Amino acid sequence: MSELLQQTVSGLTTGLVYAALALAIALVFQGTGTLNFAQGEFATLAAFVSFALSTAGLSWWLIVPVLVVLAFVFGAGVERLLVRPVEGNGPLALLTVTAALLLGTNAVVALIWGTDVRSMPSPFGDAVHHVGPLTFTAQALGGGALVLTAMVLCGAIFRFTPLGLRLRAVADNPDSARLLGISTGLMLAVGWGIAAAVGAVAGLVAAPTLGLSPELMTNALLLALAAVTLGGFSSRLGAVVGGLLIGVLSNLASRYVPGIGGDLQLVVPFAVIFLVLLVRPQGLFGRPSAVRA
Amino acid sequence: MSGLLEVTGLTAGYGGVRVLHGIDIAVGENEIVAVLGANGAGKTTLLRALSGTVRSSGEVAFAGRSLAGTSAARIARGGLGHVPQGRGTFTDLTVEENVRLGVISRPASTRGQADGDVERIYETFPVLREMRRRPAGALSGGQQQMLALSRALLARPRLLLIDEPSLGLAPLTSADMFSVLARLRDEWSLSVLLAEQNARASLKVADRGVVLARGRVVASAPAAELAADEGLRAAYLGESPDGLTEVSS
Repeated sequence: MSELLQQTVSGLTTGLVYAALALAIALVFQGTGTLNFAQGEFATLAAFVSFALSTAGLSWWLIVPVLVVLAFVFGAGVERLLVRPVEGNGPLALLTVTAALLLGTNAVVALIWGTDVRSMPSPFGDAVHHVGPLTFTAQALGGGALVLTAMVLCGAIFRFTPLGLRLRAVADNPDSARLLGISTGLMLAVGWGIAAAVGAVAGLVAAPTLGLSPELMTNALLLALAAVTLGGFSSRLGAVVGGLLIGVLSNLASRYVPGIGGDLQLVVPFAVIFLVLLVRPQGLFGRPSAVRA
Repeated sequence: MSGLLEVTGLTAGYGGVRVLHGIDIAVGENEIVAVLGANGAGKTTLLRALSGTVRSSGEVAFAGRSLAGTSAARIARGGLGHVPQGRGTFTDLTVEENVRLGVISRPASTRGQADGDVERIYETFPVLREMRRRPAGALSGGQQQMLALSRALLARPRLLLIDEPSLGLAPLTSADMFSVLARLRDEWSLSVLLAEQNARASLKVADRGVVLARGRVVASAPAAELAADEGLRAAYLGESPDGLTEVSS
């Protein structure tokens, strides 16, 4: 029993990365209707920048907020400079741009920092905590707190602030938002910025456990896309829960289902997603848009 | 008459197709002007050109300032509201959030009156208060029209463009809508440019009427005069002399 629990905990720890990345993907999708394939690479870039800052001797207490701000500016800037010009050319053009951004960002990271896997120290230290029969690494606890904070903050911004209301209005009906004097372009840039900031959190949580390399988010991106599908594209909570579920499921499957080793464990979450989509196409937490015909 | 909105030689269209061929129109302070015309006369395009959602050329002066080259969002912030055809509902937001969007879009100088204004809206349209927690997409057509009007009013525009408020509404609801419009002008110190196919009802609330046909102004006169001119209505508004609106295809 306690082993099952421990496996669940370690699944949740990996799931945190998918959860944060899935949240970032869902934010851009809700705001613009586009899948940003480069979201994972943005997170990798953020992880490398945090690594550079910490090597330069900055304290993590400073790095985390600085990183979040830098990521926000980066995300908003990318939207403004690279995404905006093709915005009018349809969803396929946008998708192509984000795919190009994936390759481009990956190449830039590899060019600057090389392709070797480096070990990154955990921002939360190497302590191990015991609660009853379970062990938690400081990285898992700190990462969990960080992702949870990001999720709650995003939720609060979207639910309770005028900025959040404007962001949702632009996502819902951009033409009508313009008629209320809302600058849709600014809101799209802000949406990308917030997503990139959340993605930076994913990078911070991933790098110490997975090892820092340009390939940091290659698998995680696919699993995060799966997580968003599972949880529902229209739900931020769904994206996070979907990410955690996928982490736990793949971990438990590789431990307890005979024949599924480390490599095959990826099959399990996708089988689950297939089932969910058959039964509930809008995802576990998504709701079909309520529009009266 | 002090001209809040002065338009001269406005042309606009979609792609290569020109829809408006040099429109002159003016709206004074606290005036309701009805823009009448059959389907395809250019009423909607005129409103869109004024709010900056369709490219146009020609002179548009609003409150003494030229709107040439101004973005739609900036025009709206300058006090020109637009209730679009189709009502522009934010369907996934709740009714209350739709209302709040209007409030946060008002000029800073009117922030203090926000609570009172919201209360006034809920008194004018009690059904919106009842439905405030529901997603706005679940409202009926008439309720969405009330919501669209409320959202635009709460942004405290000086001039409100309203596009076909009676479209798709049952006759009784539509009559309610027109009687509400007449009240709103005084309560919210508004000027209104109202595009309508229903000439009879809109001329009852309007001060003046402007008739469009194929993108040109063919008549402009006080509302009572237009309402009495049966020949004109028969020629341009698709109405037979007995006042019944023909079903246009």
